[in-house]
Amino acid sequence: MASSSKLPQKRKQPDSNNILLKLSADERKLYELIESRKNVGIWTADMKRETGLPQTIVTKVLKSLQNKNLIKDVVNIHNKAKKIFMASKYEPSKEISGGLWYTPEGNLDILFINTLKDQCLRYVDRVKVATVETIWGFMKDLEVNEQKLFTVQPTTQQITEILDMLVLDKGLEVLKSSGTGDFARVAPGKVCYRRLKSHEDQTGALASIPCGVCPRISECTPDGIISPITCVYFNKWLGIDF
Amino acid sequence: MVAQQGLAHAETIVKSHFGEIVSKVVGCLLHRGSLALPEIVRFVRLPPPQVRSSLLVLIQHNCVQAFSIERPAAGLGGAIRNVTQYTALFYNILQRMRFTKFSAIVNADLGEQCEYLLDGLLQHGRLTFDQLAVRVTLKHPGGSSSVEQQVTIAAAVSHAERFCEIPDMGTNTIPNVKVTDHSPGVSVGDKRKRKAREVDNDGQATIAESEFLWRANFEKFVCCLKKKACVEHIKSRSGPNAGIVLEAMIESNHEQKAKDNNSVMSSMDDILEGVKVKPGGSSMTLENVRKILVEELGCRLSDEETEALHTINLKNIIETCQNDEVEALVVKRYGDEARRIFTLLAKKGIYENDQIHNAALLEKTKTEGILYKFWKDDYLDMKRAISSEDGRQKHNFLWKMNKSVISEHILNDMYHAAINLSQRATHMIEEDPELFAPYQNLPEAQRKLKIAQQTRWIVLLYSLSKIDDGLMLFLDF
Ligand code: SF4
Repeated sequence: MASSSKLPQKRKQPDSNNILLKLSADERKLYELIESRKNVGIWTADMKRETGLPQTIVTKVLKSLQNKNLIKDVVNIHNKAKKIFMASKYEPSKEISGGLWYTPEGNLDILFINTLKDQCLRYVDRVKVATVETIWGFMKDLEVNEQKLFTVQPTTQQITEILDMLVLDKGLEVLKSSGTGDFARVAPGKVCYRRLKSHEDQTGALASIPCGVCPRISECTPDGIISPITCVYFNKWLGIDF
Repeated sequence: MVAQQGLAHAETIVKSHFGEIVSKVVGCLLHRGSLALPEIVRFVRLPPPQVRSSLLVLIQHNCVQAFSIERPAAGLGGAIRNVTQYTALFYNILQRMRFTKFSAIVNADLGEQCEYLLDGLLQHGRLTFDQLAVRVTLKHPGGSSSVEQQVTIAAAVSHAERFCEIPDMGTNTIPNVKVTDHSPGVSVGDKRKRKAREVDNDGQATIAESEFLWRANFEKFVCCLKKKACVEHIKSRSGPNAGIVLEAMIESNHEQKAKDNNSVMSSMDDILEGVKVKPGGSSMTLENVRKILVEELGCRLSDEETEALHTINLKNIIETCQNDEVEALVVKRYGDEARRIFTLLAKKGIYENDQIHNAALLEKTKTEGILYKFWKDDYLDMKRAISSEDGRQKHNFLWKMNKSVISEHILNDMYHAAINLSQRATHMIEEDPELFAPYQNLPEAQRKLKIAQQTRWIVLLYSLSKIDDGLMLFLDF
């Protein structure tokens, strides 16, 4: 599964020196401009402006450079319609590609994120207290045991980001190991993660009544048109037909 | 400053307990601050005797305090005269919502006898020892207060002393008032021994007490409710055993006199002793307790003289409870993903758009949509930032959580919700004064209808009680 979870892969580098020598003047001009922008790349409109070449030539030259595998087009996650070109030897910066969590098409890889999230929680449930390294080891074992969940083994950086997100979701809590009890397998003082018991059964006082989420609360007054006596949200909540 | 809805809530409480006229008087004091009798009469446009009686009821029930100030008298060549001013005690009025909670505490801690005495104090505001004695006599009919009964009352009152206090009579003027009696068969005004001492310029009768008056010590009760809230929170988060340990720890607190009531310090021996007598605590071992103290409660160890003491700050638990309440609301109002962003921003600091969507692992546009909603509802402060990169200007937004504004909003909404719940419940009783009359003889269909209505009323009252718990939480108890 998680076919969409391929991480950006390095492409095979062309023997660029030889090819560069054989480029036409326009090709060289454009290539040098694109190459100078390193891993940020450049937008076609900017190329036209900076080289002074007409649109037709730019389009033709870009095609030829792409065929020679010297440049590639990359998706800018901030503006997918704005086509960006970059020298093939560079990997797009995190700013352009969105980083580890984005598919080459520039979409957030939700499936990958969710799979990783579920696996982390499953592991912590099993061992009670986990560190980034133990989770990474667990993921690696999954791969070894032929349970191919991911096309690429998640990095420790990715696991840390997922764990931090789970802390924000209140699924996990982060603490320092005491080295005893449940923490016995983690060195004292080391940062580790533990399941945070869910409070779902205890909805907040205000959240569990209609007024807590009422869009009309500011207009609701005891003697007004909107009032608790005539309130339809109350009627619905109290199971009164209306 | 108290939220607008808070003042309205206090007025609603007074209205439902003492009626329209008294609530008008208290409303005037709540909104305008301390006033003298003629000023109140002018503002509320009610006949002076009605205003005076209302004030007397309010003072008797500790909702208003009277005090004397010196003011230059008009047209008397700079002569000074004493004027009695009245001020509403907002937080004492709110306590009226909690009377059943207070009674339950006393019942559990000290038994029925004390609960009965407390109920008297809660119903009548202030009572003398003799009046308390009358209550006990009436509770056990069949003789005037015998020697044994006197002994029982004395013991009960001294136990209950933790929950009772004697009003400060320093400069206060205490009016002679016939108590509004809410309990049938108890005439508390009978045994008063009072001597009129002076009559002030407003013509209001004031007297000095010749004996002690007792009233419930609300602060102590609220402190107990705070303990209960902390223990419940720990129980739900870390299991019943952790709740038992925290309860034992609070009860054996060496820092009983700590001003903020937040720091708890206790020795392992005292905690163990407390744990052993709790239901479910007798099977807990020293190792269990130690593990809970360290791993679940995060207690620190500090050395006091020769004894090692475990310490915990209840403020942290209260803050977590407040966060839980706010987050539950965020989830309900904006969804789970919004909660993720909310918890990130709740950490101190200022965050950029990119930082937020990267940490929350959410699409940029989705993140921006959520941030915009938070900002519109005043949860966040936002600033535009312009930076330049490669000679180009880059626009960004910086976000910061406005915690105090959020708390104010929530408090205001809670007051508003409390008014709405109690108004709806009152309306139900007004529509059907027989709501709680016996229904066994009614036809099947009507009986079903009645049970459904009763259930609705109970749901409203239960929710009101929960909202009141929330109010205490956000008012820091
Ligand atoms: S009573 Fe009804 S209209 Fe008024 S705030 Fe509550 S839910 Fe909204």
